[in-house]
Amino acid sequence: MINIPEGTGELAYKLLPLQNKMTWERHGSLALENAKINSAFFGRGQSLSALRGVQIGEGNSCVVVAAGPSLKRKDPARVIQEAGYKGAIIAAESALSYCLRSGVVPDLAVTIDPHATRVVRWLGDPHLTEEKLKEDDYFSRQDQDDIFAQEMRANDEILEMLNKRGKDIRIALSTMASNAVVSRVLETGMQIYWWNPMLDDPDQEGSITARLIDENGFPSINAGGNVGTASWMMGDVLLEKEYVALTGVDFSYYDGTPYFNTQYYHEAVDLVGEENLDSLFVRIFNEHENAWFYTDPAYLWYRECFLEMVPDAECRTYNCTQGGILFGDGITVQPFREFLAMHSASEMTK
Amino acid sequence: MNDLLKGNFQTKKSVSGVEDQESIEARFEREALKKLGGSISFVKKKKVKWAADPDN
Repeated sequence: MINIPEGTGELAYKLLPLQNKMTWERHGSLALENAKINSAFFGRGQSLSALRGVQIGEGNSCVVVAAGPSLKRKDPARVIQEAGYKGAIIAAESALSYCLRSGVVPDLAVTIDPHATRVVRWLGDPHLTEEKLKEDDYFSRQDQDDIFAQEMRANDEILEMLNKRGKDIRIALSTMASNAVVSRVLETGMQIYWWNPMLDDPDQEGSITARLIDENGFPSINAGGNVGTASWMMGDVLLEKEYVALTGVDFSYYDGTPYFNTQYYHEAVDLVGEENLDSLFVRIFNEHENAWFYTDPAYLWYRECFLEMVPDAECRTYNCTQGGILFGDGITVQPFREFLAMHSASEMTK
Repeated sequence: MNDLLKGNFQTKKSVSGVEDQESIEARFEREALKKLGGSISFVKKKKVKWAADPDN
């Protein structure tokens, strides 16, 4: 048994200052390797810059759909349809199948994470087998879209949906995407818009990000550690929307979710042992929902990054997730129906 | 009594309780670096750098 002196959540806070370093250690070299491999496919798409300032969706608002655990509970795609919302919809790749299954075709999908095997599952993995499922229980453990409970069947459905609708979808494809994701995107006919991850400060001498930009000519966007924040940033700096609503951006788990069903469960157990997991999870009270949520070191960091980024945004940010831990200065927490009512076609003509 | 507890040989490496604690923390950080972390880095005070805009 490992002796961890930290109490509940304390270790998560201690790890916060290390998170950027931890992320770089995990992904830095892979990002560069993938960018090099993907250069063979740059000609199959355009630069994300081509979408800069383009009027996408009606009006001056957009909605981000990310894949936090509130997604299946609050069903924002259904709310979008019921409201007849015509503004832009930006979906994290992890929420894409949910949107399509709900009859919502996003105006832009966003993908970043370079994981070699997991991310392609969101787009349908044509090479998925039962054996591979046994090797990685990540999707079966998550408190996410229920479709993933039947993984092979889900995969087949997603393959079919993307094969059918892919050509109608623009995707902001990171140059550090895995070969599996790039291949799948090409297979579906999605309209590719390449962008570079912001790995370090591009204005600093010796910047790797600057080198990538120089080499491939694509812009670099600060993703704030995750695809949900990247999607919000796209709404702000790329589509230049004045109002950006977030849905599915929980950055947390619902109280009562077993640790086993959290993203980094196995890693956490490896690090501190099952008996010390409390030290890695932080409970936060959301007064807007009058409910507790809890988060892990990575999502706690995503929250901190977002809160740091939001003051510099040109857009006004509305968190319409109706759950989770993202609230603070610069963020208006609002029920999603209210936001959509404000930005309906009839309101826009006033 | 303290002289008896010192023993009758010199160790090649000096032994320090503080150094052991630092090693544990360094080891923990190294393991955390391998296991945890986000999807992509975060850069403070930067939003975007457009390739075609040298002033951005």
